[in-house]
Amino acid sequence: MSQLQDNGSVPSGEISRLTEHLFRVEAGKLVSVLTGVFGIDHLQLAEDVVQEALVRAFRTWPYYGIPKNPAAWITQTAKNLAYDLLRREKFFREKQTEIAITVEQWSADSLADESPSFETEIKDHRLRLIFACCHPLIAQEAQTALALRTLCGFGAAEIAKAFLTTEAAIAKRLTRTRQKIRELGIPFEIPSGEKFSVRLDGVLQTLYLLFNEGYKASSGDNLVREDLCYEAIRLATLLAEHPLANQPRTHALVALMLLDAARLPARVDTDGNILRLREQDRSKWNRPMIERGIIHLGQAASGDVLSEYHIQAGITACHCMAADYPSTDWSRILSLYDQWTKTNNSPVIALNRAVAVANVNGPAAGIEAVESIQNRAELDSYYLLYAVLGEFESQLHHLEAAAAHFRRASQLTEVKSERVFLSKKARALRS
Amino acid sequence: MSTQTTTSEYMLLFRGTHWDMSLSPEELQNVMSKWTAWFDRLVERGKIKSAHPLMEEGKIVTWKKGQTVADGPFAESKEAIGGYFLLQMTDLDEALDIAKECPALEYGMTVEVRPVAGSCPSLQKVNAQLAHATS
Repeated sequence: MSQLQDNGSVPSGEISRLTEHLFRVEAGKLVSVLTGVFGIDHLQLAEDVVQEALVRAFRTWPYYGIPKNPAAWITQTAKNLAYDLLRREKFFREKQTEIAITVEQWSADSLADESPSFETEIKDHRLRLIFACCHPLIAQEAQTALALRTLCGFGAAEIAKAFLTTEAAIAKRLTRTRQKIRELGIPFEIPSGEKFSVRLDGVLQTLYLLFNEGYKASSGDNLVREDLCYEAIRLATLLAEHPLANQPRTHALVALMLLDAARLPARVDTDGNILRLREQDRSKWNRPMIERGIIHLGQAASGDVLSEYHIQAGITACHCMAADYPSTDWSRILSLYDQWTKTNNSPVIALNRAVAVANVNGPAAGIEAVESIQNRAELDSYYLLYAVLGEFESQLHHLEAAAAHFRRASQLTEVKSERVFLSKKARALRS
Repeated sequence: MSTQTTTSEYMLLFRGTHWDMSLSPEELQNVMSKWTAWFDRLVERGKIKSAHPLMEEGKIVTWKKGQTVADGPFAESKEAIGGYFLLQMTDLDEALDIAKECPALEYGMTVEVRPVAGSCPSLQKVNAQLAHATS
């Protein structure tokens, strides 16, 4: 640990200046780089080395102060640990020279402040790991858990919180997935040729699910969930910067995520109750994020493929661009929903379309649109069906019917803040 | 002459070496920030005489048919000492109050609080008698 003394550390009182989530972000980068060094068969080893490096920082920085360049300190420590491992472990013996050259190169680069070549290498390795984690042979839920663990530096307990399951279940899922990667020989590479487009779709789909997992209102830990949104944005942005993955649908996905995430700060009131779009304080929307989203939406507007991400980003953009609820361009939203329901017969999308219909043609037309939903039976126990119907009926002053719908909705939702909101509505109608 | 308030030294020994290996990066960063704030407060108030983390590596020397050096440094890793503070305190209660503030307690670390023996008790008695005689 000699670097502690000669690294020009600053007084420990300034430790608060450590960037938020620094450890998590660095862990995500280093696991990718170390996986490149050790090989994807040794994913767990890469994770362990990074953990050890962070633990060493944790054990010493409070006493000696944080180094001037905390990220470089962690990288250097991880490199030293990797070296020790290479010398100790028999299974590296054959590849030892090759690996040693890689590590040598990496450390020389990383010590120069924010070396561009090391940054490029990190990006390259992160993309390889994204494609490995999102391999079609790995189950979807395992893909998101593994991506969070290895690419985003989440712990099993945090992943469990986000997915409302137990830490043990996540740990088990991660172990099985690493094992599967070894057994199936899933490569650590960015696919090339014709395969690329299909594989990119898989990656986009996983990032989309990761984002939605974080975005949906839940009884779980909302802060952790919002972090999922930001991680999904981080990875999708990385993808959009890559020459091959820099495609209209990638930008459409990034736009969709940014425009949705921009509205998160306004989504709940101070008591944690869900606020609907029309009740939200739009000054709380994150303007820079909306601007970034609109830029990506512009980059998405090329080529001849209109993906579902395009449509959703277009709908969200209409909301983001409206100064207030009444001035929302509902007819444009409705035409986007019309396009969407043509390619996707999900009843949930059709239900959302009904809301657009009601905003354009009135609540009675909205009810009609709900009644004509294909596969409507699938929505029988979906609380939002009744919340939407309750809203339409109350606009028509059918108060009894509205109250009944809201009661049903509140019985069906598992989310406490939603339940409070819905039963309040039901009560208000009866009084 | 001497005032009524006396201070003495207490050693806080932080036990448990692997408790932090299962923390996530985010938790590590959070506990580290808390630990640092705690440490800095003690430094500002002039309570800390010395403090160091201890490396995990080390050897243990025992007497078994002559000197034995074993890899160690400890039989049970959860009992191993990961670091220490040497504090200047008014009494044991003050030292205990500080130990209770350790941010790693809730994650399974234990803190051992031990008074440092200032000098041997019989020498203290002699010194007291001398002081009395010359006053």
